[in-house]
Amino acid sequence: MRAAANPPISLDDGAAGHRRRGLMQRLGMRGILELAGIYAALVLVLFETLYPLLWVLFGSLKTKQEMLSNVWGPPSSLVLQNYADAWRIAGMGSRIVNSVFVTGSALIILVAVATPCAYAVARLRFPGRGLVVAVAVAAMLVPPQVMAIPLFLVARDLGLINNRLGIAFIYAATSLPLSVFILRSFFVTLPADLEDAARVDGASRLEILIHIMLPLVRPGVALILIFGFIEIWNDFFLAFLLLRDPSVQTIPLGLVSFFQQYDSLWSLYFAALTITTLPVIVVFVAMQRQFIAGLTAGAVKG
Amino acid sequence: MTRSQEAAPVSSRSGAWRFDAGDGVVAFLMILPAAILFGLFYLWPFVNGFWLSLHNWDGFSDPTWAGISNYKRLVHDRIFLGALRNNLIFVVTVVILKNVLGLGLALLLNRALLGRTFFRAAAFIPVTMSFVAVGLLWSWIYNPVFGLLNSGLDLVGLGALKQSWLGDADIALYSIIVVDVWKWLGFHAVIYLAGLQTIPSELYESAKMDGAGPLQRFRHVTVPMMMPIVFINTILGLSGAFVRNFDIVYVLTKGGPNHATEVVLTYMMSKAFQDGAMSYAAAIGYVLFLIVGLASVGLLALMRRQRLDV
Repeated sequence: MRAAANPPISLDDGAAGHRRRGLMQRLGMRGILELAGIYAALVLVLFETLYPLLWVLFGSLKTKQEMLSNVWGPPSSLVLQNYADAWRIAGMGSRIVNSVFVTGSALIILVAVATPCAYAVARLRFPGRGLVVAVAVAAMLVPPQVMAIPLFLVARDLGLINNRLGIAFIYAATSLPLSVFILRSFFVTLPADLEDAARVDGASRLEILIHIMLPLVRPGVALILIFGFIEIWNDFFLAFLLLRDPSVQTIPLGLVSFFQQYDSLWSLYFAALTITTLPVIVVFVAMQRQFIAGLTAGAVKG
Repeated sequence: MTRSQEAAPVSSRSGAWRFDAGDGVVAFLMILPAAILFGLFYLWPFVNGFWLSLHNWDGFSDPTWAGISNYKRLVHDRIFLGALRNNLIFVVTVVILKNVLGLGLALLLNRALLGRTFFRAAAFIPVTMSFVAVGLLWSWIYNPVFGLLNSGLDLVGLGALKQSWLGDADIALYSIIVVDVWKWLGFHAVIYLAGLQTIPSELYESAKMDGAGPLQRFRHVTVPMMMPIVFINTILGLSGAFVRNFDIVYVLTKGGPNHATEVVLTYMMSKAFQDGAMSYAAAIGYVLFLIVGLASVGLLALMRRQRLDV
């Protein structure tokens, strides 16, 4: 990403050694004040974003009494028992297993189904190709939420209510149009020569797709995996619609039912939220470049 | 199921694939799984939903033909109209706030040279959280007993401003709007930031040479150059705000107090699963689809007219 130095302050001089003196000279008093204002505003944003999260972490380590008497501050002692209790009472173990199973299956199905479709649409000539693309684009304008009721009925008729693999197929279907669209745009850019050469050598289309094209569109696959993961792992709506039995519920459902089932186990709620949220944040922080690039890709083409 | 059909002569001219029968069959087989999945869980519910909305059905007995009577009832359903109104307030407010605050944050980040990556990542964290986690977090922030907000107001001596943030019918909807903006701000800011960084700095320099001050430069360089990004952010915010509010409303208020925060999706779900009015709920879904569709198509048409192909 090109960091365009934005006037009126351009600081992109290479004189790193004289940075401080250079700053003073180039900015002057007014510029320094301006920069200070910018950082003050940013720190404010940082505070409103991160303090609530830190507050949950603090609260998860307090006793219930301390949560009420010391709302803002850090815990006076660490009550780790909250975590053990929350884990047990909220049934976190099975919820995490369910979430991993559902999300993992859905992503495997999604990639297995979307990739050949996108490849065919991008690289093969056949009647009706334009129609497939048009349907994918049109479907992106129809959010699955608006057809929740008929979707529920279809799932019921197929016996897919309370079925973890069933909801995985449905998640894959709802992510399908966007994924085909994204993957297609990756396949389209690949040079035809590669394919031609492989065909001369007698490779079948499926072999070409798997051995030659797929490795080249890995960034596209990564993109739909990131999109799909965030969407499916965090989903509440469809899970709420289709997973009624507690034994198959995913993390978001488990959190809500834990919250509604027990009254005022405040510090345990905080612990449960920390257990489920912290890992995702850690993964995000570790790979934030790919995440941010992935989630905003396509929105801005240079 | 490997079909070896490699007898077809290969056109080695790059780019131009000559149509041969083999391609059609292979394409069909490659699209088939996607078509089945899409047909079963997208197309069929979409079509069936419309059929359903023209009937009266509780989900179990035999459906009876109802014509457009479900839609007629909707026009007179006060709770539905209230939900629609709340939904529109939600969409408009959220889209404006996300754009204004997102651009503001992006401008700050664009100027901050040290720690930009850090601030950007921090602002992005809520985007990766689930609506449920964000909703629960904010239900505690708003909590009257141990909530961060009221006790914070006490702390800085503004105790008079304490509210029942989710219990007061006049402000509950806006409390929910704040939560949605909080969750998505970083996302829109990052898109704006990427857009800002594509503006060539020569434009600013020449504007500066022409004697334009910072505000004029913002108006005459930044704003016009950012219009495509404004459209993108608006369309992303718009489609999200219409249909992705169920989780947050359900977790925070369940549509209460007294339907003050009811949105179309929460009403649809309660009609279907509390009242068993499946076909009526399907009609609600269809109306929502029409509104979202019209809004998106209208915005895309506007975009095309402005020649903002993106």
